[in-house]
Amino acid sequence: MFTLPLDALLILMVATPAVGWVAYKKGYRKVPGIYASASLLVAAYFLYGLYKEVVENSIVLIVGQLPFNPPLEACLEIDMLSVFMAFLYIIIGLFATAYSIKFMERDSGLTEYYTLMLGMIAGMTGIVFAGDFFTLFVFWELMCLTSYALVAFRKRKWEPIEAGFKYLIMSAAGSATILLSMSFLYGMTGTLNFAALANSLTNTTSEGWLYITLALVIVGFGVKAAIVPFHTWLPDAHSAAPSPISAMLSGVMVQTGAYALARVLLLVFGSMQPAWQMTLAVFAVLTMFGGNIMALLQNDLKRLLAFSTVAHMGYILFGFAIASQEGLTASLFHVINHAIMKTLLFLCAGAFIRQTKTRYLGKLRGISKTMPITSASFAIGTIAIAAFPPLNGFWSEMMIIAAGVRAEMIIFSILTLANMALSVVYYFRLIRIIILEKPTKVSERATKAPVSMLIPIAILAFLCIFIGVYPGPYIDASSKAAEAMLNIEVYIDAVLGGL
Amino acid sequence: MIQLNYYIACAVALYIIGMYCLASKRNMIKLVMGLEILVNAAHLSFIAFSAYRSIGYIDPLGHSIVIMSIGFAGCVTALALTIVTYAYKHYKTLDVRKLRRLRW
Repeated sequence: MFTLPLDALLILMVATPAVGWVAYKKGYRKVPGIYASASLLVAAYFLYGLYKEVVENSIVLIVGQLPFNPPLEACLEIDMLSVFMAFLYIIIGLFATAYSIKFMERDSGLTEYYTLMLGMIAGMTGIVFAGDFFTLFVFWELMCLTSYALVAFRKRKWEPIEAGFKYLIMSAAGSATILLSMSFLYGMTGTLNFAALANSLTNTTSEGWLYITLALVIVGFGVKAAIVPFHTWLPDAHSAAPSPISAMLSGVMVQTGAYALARVLLLVFGSMQPAWQMTLAVFAVLTMFGGNIMALLQNDLKRLLAFSTVAHMGYILFGFAIASQEGLTASLFHVINHAIMKTLLFLCAGAFIRQTKTRYLGKLRGISKTMPITSASFAIGTIAIAAFPPLNGFWSEMMIIAAGVRAEMIIFSILTLANMALSVVYYFRLIRIIILEKPTKVSERATKAPVSMLIPIAILAFLCIFIGVYPGPYIDASSKAAEAMLNIEVYIDAVLGGL
Repeated sequence: MIQLNYYIACAVALYIIGMYCLASKRNMIKLVMGLEILVNAAHLSFIAFSAYRSIGYIDPLGHSIVIMSIGFAGCVTALALTIVTYAYKHYKTLDVRKLRRLRW
């Protein structure tokens, strides 16, 4: 129906409540979590098969059984970029799910939790596979709905309720804005297929409406991508959600917004590149400044990490705004690195919070004495995200700046560099607090995190070092994905070739 | 026959009313209603465009999107009202100003 990996995710997600019910009757509380991890492994295996197909044909086109061709019918288009992003979602999802088995064991409603988690991953995978706005919107709403429920999951406390409500209102308003912009595109061209839209928007006459639509698209997807004037849901939602969910939200879900923005702008609004390029670059710089300056003021560990996510979205959007092969490669490479580093940091933060019951940085001083492995991994993640040379963050951030300089956006590149220097201040403050200072009473009483939580953390920390020392294959993969993003003619041909 | 422009103007006006409602209302239920108004602005615009593509013929694409989207809007509203219920149990009020324990 929707290609094997997505089918597997959707069907296994729908089957989760049954599995959870049987396990509940038999008294095995860990079964839903193990089942969800296994489902993600199955999906990853199927995705590998799809990847081989994409390598052969460059674009795999999936249409339904109706006797119509793509512009009339909803379709899925899978190219290198889709496979690249889907791999990232499933792998990060696997880490977060495996970590949740121990982390969430004291909560009730675990079956629902894993169902929603698989639904969120299925939604994100569907978004990157979508070939028209209709399919994209359906999966977009799947991702949004599950994430609202996950943010407000611990519904007996005040913080998840407030953050969940705020997130729901802002994000649903963003979705409505996307729907309005879709209706304008539909009114101008009569189709919602990306390829057909790209073809017909080049010779449209209604310039004014086109600009209004462009603004609505940037605002609508920008709410999800945490562009600065619309980012206010992010720090609340990220700090109120359970830690594995924060890792998913910040590691991959925010990137989905950036992906959708970049794909729609490059493909559908390709003819208006000068108009959106500068806008996106200005928004990117605003986002960096907003995130970094606010992160300097935080005393709450998860809030600080959330604002650092805002800043990193700025770097990624700047790479997309350059819109050259180098800029997109750098940005997509940073998407991988940011997902790995931020997931690592949020999972470590989750371990600290579970063992000490506090997120307040003042009480977490010197916790490395009692939780050495978690603290060491946290330090590796922090050094990587502060862009120090042997680790992975360095390569992608330098590549973004180099691409900016080569595309003659010197002022923006200098501002990006200044932001990276500014961010080092609060990352080093984190390292000082966690490792160098004397332990407080709270951190002296902490015990080591359980082994099943340490395994994902250790693997992610290892990946940070490994990608930093040996970045070649990952840069290659991102450059192929960037090529697929820029090859608009091939994309349009694959869809409309039959006409 | 009424011109298409009136429908589009009406949809844009609804969108602005919805945004105003989200920005200015304090009751949580009214915020959820504001969301519904926003989504319905987009629906109206879709239906109007699909009806005016050519005379005597209605494009099914716009209608199928609107039907799907009504379903999603129902889900979002249900979830939002659930959260409102929990908020009311916790705070004994529906005023969002009382929910300002989160800093910026």
